[in-house]
Amino acid sequence: MNKVLGITLGILTAMGGFVDIGDIVANSETGARFGLGLAWAVVVGVIGICVFAEMAGRVAAVSGRPVFDLVRERLGAKVGLVNLLASFFITFLTLTAEIGGIALALELASDVNYLLWIPVAGLAVWLVIWRVKFESMEQIFGLMGLVLVVMAVALWRLGPDWSDLAHQAAHPAVPHGEGHATYAFWAIALFGAAMTPYEVFFFSSGAVEEGWSRRDLMLNKANVFIGFPLGGVLSLTLMGLTAVVFQPAAVSVGSLSQSALPVSLAVGKLGLALVIIGFFAATFGAALETGLSCGYTISQYFGWPWGKRVRPREAARFHLLVLVALGVAVGVGLTAVDPIKVTEYSIVLSAAALPLTYLPILLVANDRDYMGESANRWLSNLLGSVFLVVLVVVAAVTIPLMIVTKAGS
Amino acid sequence: MSDPSAPPGRELLLALQLLDRQIVDRHGKLAGKVDDLEISLPSGGGPPVVTALLTGRGALADRLGGRLGRFAAALSRRLVAGDRERPGRVPVSRIADIGNHVTVALDADEMPTYAVEAAVRHGIVEHIPGSGVKGA
Repeated sequence: MNKVLGITLGILTAMGGFVDIGDIVANSETGARFGLGLAWAVVVGVIGICVFAEMAGRVAAVSGRPVFDLVRERLGAKVGLVNLLASFFITFLTLTAEIGGIALALELASDVNYLLWIPVAGLAVWLVIWRVKFESMEQIFGLMGLVLVVMAVALWRLGPDWSDLAHQAAHPAVPHGEGHATYAFWAIALFGAAMTPYEVFFFSSGAVEEGWSRRDLMLNKANVFIGFPLGGVLSLTLMGLTAVVFQPAAVSVGSLSQSALPVSLAVGKLGLALVIIGFFAATFGAALETGLSCGYTISQYFGWPWGKRVRPREAARFHLLVLVALGVAVGVGLTAVDPIKVTEYSIVLSAAALPLTYLPILLVANDRDYMGESANRWLSNLLGSVFLVVLVVVAAVTIPLMIVTKAGS
Repeated sequence: MSDPSAPPGRELLLALQLLDRQIVDRHGKLAGKVDDLEISLPSGGGPPVVTALLTGRGALADRLGGRLGRFAAALSRRLVAGDRERPGRVPVSRIADIGNHVTVALDADEMPTYAVEAAVRHGIVEHIPGSGVKGA
């Protein structure tokens, strides 16, 4: 059991990264419009996040230094500050969207308007960050999110033509009626959603919060190579569900209840209940991840005390940051801005900021002063370098594509 | 002059291995960053020497420069008591160790970066119930 609980950091990070409100909607929408023709973008993203999260976790275990510490140290004060502003803005936007996502999940469960749930959600997230131990937090929400496996049961019960799904995934093509630019936009959205920077902020800070050391390098690998692929499989399952149910009818998807519909069609009321619990856990996990990351990034840039392993009064600025970020996020959410639109923009914008976050991780993972015997070997370097090139290309084309395609519509 | 028969010490690349690194106090508490370095030219002649780590009280804003940097530096020095002209300073004699972080032979509350943390702690965070207990 301890072994299972040991990987809940990876599971929670991946849930918050792959089945948070933005992904739930992006995967449902791409499934309905493109079938599994964009599944490859998720697979590429899972490999990318595994490569960099493994490095970030290894650096944190060996040196005790989380990602934003490295960003400041390797990019210097000025470029580091630019990255801080961009990363904080994106993480804050995502936090706003996730609070809205929790509220939407509660609306599905209760029929009470989601706007009324937003302050409740914000308060609940803050209470967990303020009072619940880091390990308990990741175990509760990581394991609760696993009920989303019900989506796989639903896909199986729908009895789709598996060879057709496999063919769609293996032979990606732009469907009739969709432009190449729109297809590319959604590919980047899915890739960016898989590699959002807050995942490595949270994962590496979590490793420090849990006190990982050189002895925990295997634990790091287990967290990364079980957690992230699991998140990726869940997001592909969601894409498969909407591909099977909505694509033949050419119905477009843009709400959480539509994302849950295929499960209730296939598994009934119990399935619907489980998928709502899963959506709640995943969005709540993502809110914890982004809420904490708002504090982690700024505190680590300035070298302030941070985290949940010390009493709140000993990390006063960190907790004030988290409190203010949550308060403002609730305020923005209450203006009735569409949470789903907010995440779509934040995912795409984050694709533009990714190289500045992942370059320092690659540099330090190679620094023998830091890493000694645990420095990168050739495979990590090869994959890391290839992905860095991909990230730079993606960063360069993201914003023009967003303008040309009017955000994929 | 140094003794040529003594074993060679460690040489550091200041920008790579010291600047922007985390400062940790003698109990392992996080206590700011190496925002800048002070190099002094001794008045009696002789080579320049690194004399202090600059941290907090506008040290970072000074380094960022420009109108915004000057404004931020002036503001942060005005907000906390002490020298209005100069940033926070830790003499090199208080450096205990330099690794992937810089350990100083001081308590975090003796550091120039401590004033704001203390103000936020006593002014706000301590008034919220549960601030003194670790999570359960």
